[in-house]
Amino acid sequence: MSVKVEVGAGGIPHNQILIYGLVGSLVLIYLTYLNTITGTEYFSFFGGLAAVVALLWGTDTIKHLCSYGLGTGVPSAGMIALGSGVVAALFGATTGPFAPIVTIIIAAIIGAVAGLMANAVVRMDIPVMVVSLIELAIVGAMTILGLSAMACGTFEFLGMITGEIAILGFIVQSYEFSLIGGSIIAVIFMLGAIAIQHSFNACLGPGEQQDRTLMLAAECGFLSMIPIAIISFAFIGMYAALISLVVSIVGWLYTYKKYIELSQRDAYAWLDAQPILEPKGGA
Amino acid sequence: MSALGGPKQTGGIQPPTAMGLVIGIVLIVAALALAYLLVQMAGLIALVGIIIGGVLIAFGVHFVPVGGAPAAMGQAPGIATGVAMLAAGAGLAGLFGGAWAAPLGFGVALAGGAIGGGLLMAITCTMVNVIYVFGMGIPAASGKVDKDPITGDTFPEFKSQGTEGHGLPFISWVGGVIGGALGGLGGTLIYLQLLDVYQAQLPVILNATVEQIAPVAVSLAGIFAVGMFLVNAVLAAYNITGTIEGPHDPKFKRFPRAIIAAAVASAVTGIFAIGLLQLVGVF
Repeated sequence: MSVKVEVGAGGIPHNQILIYGLVGSLVLIYLTYLNTITGTEYFSFFGGLAAVVALLWGTDTIKHLCSYGLGTGVPSAGMIALGSGVVAALFGATTGPFAPIVTIIIAAIIGAVAGLMANAVVRMDIPVMVVSLIELAIVGAMTILGLSAMACGTFEFLGMITGEIAILGFIVQSYEFSLIGGSIIAVIFMLGAIAIQHSFNACLGPGEQQDRTLMLAAECGFLSMIPIAIISFAFIGMYAALISLVVSIVGWLYTYKKYIELSQRDAYAWLDAQPILEPKGGA
Repeated sequence: MSALGGPKQTGGIQPPTAMGLVIGIVLIVAALALAYLLVQMAGLIALVGIIIGGVLIAFGVHFVPVGGAPAAMGQAPGIATGVAMLAAGAGLAGLFGGAWAAPLGFGVALAGGAIGGGLLMAITCTMVNVIYVFGMGIPAASGKVDKDPITGDTFPEFKSQGTEGHGLPFISWVGGVIGGALGGLGGTLIYLQLLDVYQAQLPVILNATVEQIAPVAVSLAGIFAVGMFLVNAVLAAYNITGTIEGPHDPKFKRFPRAIIAAAVASAVTGIFAIGLLQLVGVF
């Protein structure tokens, strides 16, 4: 019963992006565990990269879901993704080294319930709804877990709720000066939500090209990494945070430049006022 | 049919499927049983509170006059943005009000949440009408009813041809305030229930005083309340599919579907939030 609207055909198939996104974000998040193994904090930035990979995947998922015309605008998909993701990410974080895997499982359960409710009770009757909301919940959860790991150097719950502060030269353990105690998690929530919902919302319409949309997604991801890198100065070592900041800024500059190039390419392609391309059999 | 697209608007309301209802009931019962097993009576009460909160949010969203993109062009009545954004604004304002009033007692906190949400919607609706009337030069006229049920104002003679109505009639203003108040109430209820659970459990697990863990408990309860709020609001938005004028809109009659969906989604996300601390220190 749903109407599909235009989505640029071609590009990398969604299933391929799904596998790259899932495996990529999982591996990158586990690379932050090197912090715990080696006793340093220099590997924190891998958490941010995991979030970027997850955001790329999430953007492509949103593109597929929203091609069915939800009627509520694209941002709602990003909101439900992060809303169900934050519960899964923090629940997963309590399981120590298994955090990323447990997070994925919990997110899949919450996403499946939300998708089932949307299709069977609210009667959206969109074929890809359940799968898409499962994917989006995982994306949201991985984004939050990744950015949290980047900010405080670990994806474990106890690391997220305990922080250290120097008072008159003494190092004091405190719950207040921590990622969750300081409500940095709320900032991460919003940075992730904006990053996931913006790209397709900005690029949709006739002439939408997958590489341009995904490049914008990566740009948004790196842009969200920059504030997190600055926040991480409060929780991890100076040089570790500096590495995160440099990685985020370099990544953002590169993706921004590429995105402008791709935008100019697509703008040029429209110079001859071609008729609107009809999608062939849908994407 | 809004310019945003959306599933075909059928005349009747499609009832939830039997499978959806059965799965929903099973999930709610399972979640309640799990809550009792994990945190005994306190967990059961907390989960019931969370489910009621989620239902209030989903019900409240249906009152809010959402115009979407057509409203921005003065072609449909309502506030010119999506359901998720409006609900998030009202709910979060309510949540802040409620969280601020939390130390003053349960009733005061709930009232604070409701007033916070209602106040935000009252200001938004008023300013939206100021912009519509004095900025865009359009009168308020509903497209769905001929007469305002409260003031008795008539609409057809003010309605421009080719539009679904425009501006924000008084009934929509009232609906917006009710919706904001219900959303704020629901969000605050979820927050208070989770805060109780964490304030009881965290001192035992971390071997600390209630004052020491307060930042962590508040932050956790707050971010989970935000997450659940968005999940419920988006499910309600999917139920509305795009635009709604307020309680007088025929689409308002769809709310039972959203209530079922929100109850199930709140139960599932709620059980993960309540059981959050059960695995801390196990791995």
